[in-house]
Formats: sequence, structure tokens, C-alpha cells
Amino acid sequence: MTGEEYSEIPEGTVSEDAVSENPEQTGSPGDDVQISIRDLGKTYKTDDSETVAIEGFNLDVKRGELISIVGPSGCGKTTLLRMIAGLLDPTTGTIMIDGRVCKGPGPDRGMVFQDFALFPWRSVRKNIEFGLEIAGVPSADRATRSDELLRMVGLTDFADARIHELSGGMKQRVAIARALATSPDVLLMDEPFGALDAQTRNLMQENLVNILSQTDQTVIFITHSVDEAVYLSDRIVVLTKRPATIKSIVDIPWEWPRDRASAEFTSLRKEILEELREENVMN
Amino acid sequence: MTNIAVLNFKYDEHNRIQRWIRSGIIVVISLLLFVLVWWLVAEWGYFETIPQPLDTFDALISLIQNGDPINHLTLWTEVSSSLRTFGKGTALALIVAIPLGLLLGYVKPLRELAMPVIEVLRPIAPIAWAPIFIATKALGYTWGPALVVFMGMLFPILTSTIFGVQRIDSSWIDASKTLGANRWQIFYKIVLPSSVPYVLNGLKTALGVGWMCIVAAEIYATSLGGLGFFIYSMAQNFYWDYAFAGLIVVAVLGLLTTGVAEQVSKYVSRRMGME
Repeated sequence: MTGEEYSEIPEGTVSEDAVSENPEQTGSPGDDVQISIRDLGKTYKTDDSETVAIEGFNLDVKRGELISIVGPSGCGKTTLLRMIAGLLDPTTGTIMIDGRVCKGPGPDRGMVFQDFALFPWRSVRKNIEFGLEIAGVPSADRATRSDELLRMVGLTDFADARIHELSGGMKQRVAIARALATSPDVLLMDEPFGALDAQTRNLMQENLVNILSQTDQTVIFITHSVDEAVYLSDRIVVLTKRPATIKSIVDIPWEWPRDRASAEFTSLRKEILEELREENVMN
Repeated sequence: MTNIAVLNFKYDEHNRIQRWIRSGIIVVISLLLFVLVWWLVAEWGYFETIPQPLDTFDALISLIQNGDPINHLTLWTEVSSSLRTFGKGTALALIVAIPLGLLLGYVKPLRELAMPVIEVLRPIAPIAWAPIFIATKALGYTWGPALVVFMGMLFPILTSTIFGVQRIDSSWIDASKTLGANRWQIFYKIVLPSSVPYVLNGLKTALGVGWMCIVAAEIYATSLGGLGFFIYSMAQNFYWDYAFAGLIVVAVLGLLTTGVAEQVSKYVSRRMGME
């Protein structure tokens, strides 16, 4: 995202007051909080304008939970995730994992990208082992770990395949395995299934649930699909339009597998869609 | 199902063979037309320097079997001399252009500093350096022609490598950063492998340019021998058929060099999944 994209948006359209309407915005205190995001903000500066993309963002993520972030299109979801990943410097605020401040990118925060970002000159296995290679893990241990991950994502038979030989869904499974290889504290997923067709997308959501049930991995998941968020998440963070702050946080206490056709699923999805519509209308 | 699959396979195979035969026929017709025009021009006799195609062919055979009519050096002597010079120039160009291209592609301030120099030097015809290189005492005439080849090959490889580094998918860099890679690891695990297809593409162009340079440079550095020298000395002594035989050898070797480079480049890009 570049500053230019924001140049037409007036600054500070959401006041501080709007934020304080949600006293519980950081999640319920007292739980096992793993990740604390405090006062995170990003302002894009160009020569003649300043654009606030995100402002005063606070969030506590509990260990092992899958938290989704949904919001009106272009509200800065990806900016937010890239800041958490350390790929983008925040203008204000801090990100702490287990009390330790994160600066810059690192293998403690694994990331899955919408466009997969796999290395085409490496085999499936070599892609998965990339982070382990960087960490200096001996090749025998790398092989053990990649075997385990290949099994987990169901690609054992494709260990030596090239990336261009795989389907979109398979590519994203490789990317998930690659991000999990170094056992990160948190898995950051930036609209990971956005480039897939609807059927593959549903299948990948089920796959992800299966994979996560084996790892107890904390996940922050960006999506523009409310359906996907309701299907996957323990909690859903709904963002306002720019500058993005938290509009509401929705708890989803249901176990997996979830039934998309059930009445409660449908009504919750409708409720969140309604909230997003309010944001879009306010534009 | 199976029958359809087999039929389709046969159909594809049939088509491919047909395409090969067709393109083969076109090549043969094209070359025959060229020889015909050559023969007519020679027959016309207005240009005394143009020998008959058949005489040229005889000269070529005699050159391979007995050597040239002046020094009795065989074709292989001249070719190997040219190839040695060409090899030196190519090796030097690769050693300089690849590391320099990677560095300039990766480090923006250095690139900005170097680009004006590159843009000034690039338009100079490589052969224009020949009189200077060959006259430079410190280099001596043995390195002169090789350096002309080097000048011809340097810029295609250099610019293609710089371009390749700049074209790297930024998401690969982001992904490797989130996997813990530092700047140096990004360089040798991402930048280096992903620029290989671009380097090879530059090399392919460079080999064509270099091959043109070598023949021209050898005309300046006559005491070194080689195909350029051979063509020059035959023409000086009115052995037009031998001179033309030399031209044909230059053409065939040039075609082989770039053809091999093209296939290698294609194969590597395909193997790397980066077509």
C-alpha cells in the first residue's frame, strides 16, 4: 500500500470518542494474553498530505486463539497485519509478544500471503525448510520437521514437486507449512484464501481448521469474507473505515466443525455484515 | 476415455512432427534461395570478390583437409585460436558483469552512481576499443581482442543482471524476512537464484555480440591468428573463395553458440519454474 492510495481521504474523520464507546475493545482481561498491541497507528506522509490509515488500535490476543479482522474494503487491514509482521514500521504504538517488544520482522511471527509468495526455484520441501535453513537447523532435523509438516498439510506425495506444478489450494498449504515450520508464536494470515475459487476456499478453511487442531497455534487472520471469519474464528474484530479503529469484537464460542447452514451461523453473519454496512454507508 | 486419450496423444504427436517437417522445409527453401541469389550474383561477374558457391565449398573442404594456401594452417588451428580468445573475453565478462550487476541491482545508491557511466560507455561500438586495447603495451596484443569481446559482452550481461535483481517479486523478500532472513541471507538465498534466468538471458545476447567482436578484433591483431585474421589475409591475397569459406565458418559457429545458450537458458528457466 502506498501513501497515494489514501491521499483523498480527509484526516481524523473518526474521533477519539468513537473509540471510547467500546470499553471492551482490547478483549476480556485476565485471560492468558500472548500478544498485546497498544496504541498502534500508521500515518502515511506524502509531500503535500498526511493520511491516517490506522489510529489508536489496541488488541489483546489470547494464546491459541484464532482472531479474524474484518473491515470495510481499503480500511487498512493489510497495513495492520504488515505492522504486526514487522514489514511496515508503525507511526505510533507497540506490539508485544509475551512481554517482549517486537521490532522488525522475525521468525516468531510467521506470515501467509494472499499471493502465496513461494519460491519457484525451490521444491515444495525446500520451500517449507526455508526458515529452518535460515535458523541454521541441521539438514537431518530439517527433513524430520518438513516430513511432519508435509503430512500435516497432506502434501507428502508432493515433497519434491515444483511450485508451478501445484494448484492454488496446494500452494497455499505449502505456504502455511512454511510459515509453521519455525514454530512461530503467532501465524499471521493476510487474506490467504482470497486468490482461490469459492470451492477451494471452503475446502481450505476446513483444511486450516484441521491443521490448527494439531498445533494450538495463535492466528491473526485478515479476511474480507464475513462467512470465512464466522466459520474460522474464536473472535472477530470488526474495524471501522479509515482511519481504522476497532468498531466491535464478536466472540464466537462454538466448537469446530461449524455448520454454515445453521440458523445461529446465518444470524451472526448477518449481524456482522450489518455492522460493516453501517461503516460503508457512513462513507 | 482411454481411447480418446490415446487418440489425442497420437494427434498431438502427429501435429508436432508435421510442424517440424514444415519448419525444416522452410529452412531448406530459404537457404536454397540464398545460394541461388549468391550464385546469380557471382555468375553476373560484376563483383570480382564474390566467388561461386561451389568454389567456396571446395575451398572449405580443402581448408579442413590441407589448410590454407598461404600458411598451410588448417581450419581447426584458426577456429581454436578464435575460440580461445572468445573464451577469455567471455570468462572476463562473466566474472565482472555478474557480481557487479548483482551489487548494482541490490544497492540503490551504487546503482544511481553507476548508471550515468554505463549509459555513456554502452553506445560505444565494442570494436572501437580495439585500436586502443591492442596498442596498450601493458595488455599486449594477446589480450587486446579478448578485451574487445569483453567490452561487447559486458553491457548486455550487466544490464540484464541489474534488471533481474530489480524485477524480484517483493513478496519473496517479505516472505524471507518473516522467516528470519537477514539482508545477506536474502541476497544469496533469494536475489542470487532468482536472477539466474536474467543473467542467462543477458549471456545469450552477449554471446551474439561477442562473436561479432572477435572476428573484427582479429583483423586488428593479425599476429594472433584466428578466423578474423584468416579472412583478412585470404582477401589480401585474392583467395576470395577461402575468405568466403571463413565467413561461412563464422556464421555456423555463431549460430551454434547462441543456439546452445538459448537452449540452456530455456532449460534452466523451466527447471527453476521461472518461465
